[in-house]
Amino acid sequence: MKGFDYFQPGRLEEAYGLMETLGAEAGYIAGGTDILVRMKQKIIAPPALISLRRIEELARMGRDRGLLLGSMTPLRALEKSEEIAASYPCLSQAVASLANPQIRNVATVGGNLCNAAPSADCAPPLMVLGATLTIGGPGGERTLPVEDFFEGPGRTVLRREEILTGIAIPERVPGTGSAFLKLGRVSQDIAVINAAALVIMEGGVCRTCRLAVGAVAPTPLRLRGVERLVEGRRPDPELLAEVERGVRGEVNPITDVRSTEEYRREVSGVLLRRALEQAVRDVR
Amino acid sequence: MKKTIRFVLNGYEVTAEVAAHKMLLEVLREGFQLTGAKEGCGQGECGACTVLVDGLSVNSCLYPILEVEGRSVTTVEGLLGEGNRLHPIQEAMVENGGIQCGFCTPGIVMSAKALLDEIPLPDEARIRRGIGGHLCRCTGYVQTVESIRRAAEKMAAQGERDS
Repeated sequence: MKGFDYFQPGRLEEAYGLMETLGAEAGYIAGGTDILVRMKQKIIAPPALISLRRIEELARMGRDRGLLLGSMTPLRALEKSEEIAASYPCLSQAVASLANPQIRNVATVGGNLCNAAPSADCAPPLMVLGATLTIGGPGGERTLPVEDFFEGPGRTVLRREEILTGIAIPERVPGTGSAFLKLGRVSQDIAVINAAALVIMEGGVCRTCRLAVGAVAPTPLRLRGVERLVEGRRPDPELLAEVERGVRGEVNPITDVRSTEEYRREVSGVLLRRALEQAVRDVR
Repeated sequence: MKKTIRFVLNGYEVTAEVAAHKMLLEVLREGFQLTGAKEGCGQGECGACTVLVDGLSVNSCLYPILEVEGRSVTTVEGLLGEGNRLHPIQEAMVENGGIQCGFCTPGIVMSAKALLDEIPLPDEARIRRGIGGHLCRCTGYVQTVESIRRAAEKMAAQGERDS
């Protein structure tokens, strides 16, 4: 790994200023468990890193009707949160499946999103939970739904100086159930496919359905076509079979080192059906 | 870019002048001659470099040295008790065949320490999750899990005797 400078600003404005001064090749670093690996593999060689770890406002977890997560919240904090386990089980399950304890102790929820891996485990659950992201920059703040954040593998809407500052998850409404499922070679591996489902049920009928899947397209994907199929109906075996077929038609996978296009297409249907079933069972 | 940092290392306040791009592992091994933590993969997969930072297990090969400023680092060398007595986790690894070539052992011991500090009597599934970030090329996982279980029981019994 080539040498680099390392800056540790204490405030956001300082970080934006540093990025402006240091120029195009500098990078932000959160937990570092992805960017440092890419630097060691000589895929990238930024001459300077700006660490976000000392910016206190990014590490806060709070409430404002729903849940507010600072982007620098370590995955460990999400894993241990009783509130997340109770109100947002799909997110809890995703974090528990992600990497290993040493990584979860330093890797952050914001870092998982900003790396924009199509397989990012935090993405599908945050998408079905209807999370909104806050992005800060020298020109001010903007907010957008999490599904509008990703542009392609490793690419997001973030402009160079901008920082993902926070993630807002709406309050859970009664009658909601959610689930996350992941298929990997071994447990805690990078996902071959991951999937999240959320339903809001009313009298046995699914009023709202949100489905998201990862590693089967250039970005994590909301399955809006299949969602429309489910809404207003009872989750019976006939509907579940339709879901499986619908998912296979809506995903756009590739063949890579972890799996083939055909396998991903076939199994994403199965995984989403199971996630939907589990979400229905989780309804409280 | 060089910087002087202060942190607590195995209970002692230390100061070090370091290059900004060094990882904690390099400074421990080359600066402080603490060679318990090993470089295996260098990419956060194998866990041979595991140490504790403020009580939490981390891969020191991916931990930028400047981030330890003001924090407390514990390596396997820091587990030795009075008169160089092994820690109960280390004793259990020796007694139960938890060590084969030994390269992965210091890292696993540190993850076991972090686990037992949090959950004094974990079940087998929890132990396996706790050492999920370690690879043992000798594949001696069964004995490793058994060693951690025995260490937990011994430490719990010891704790009861002491209280």
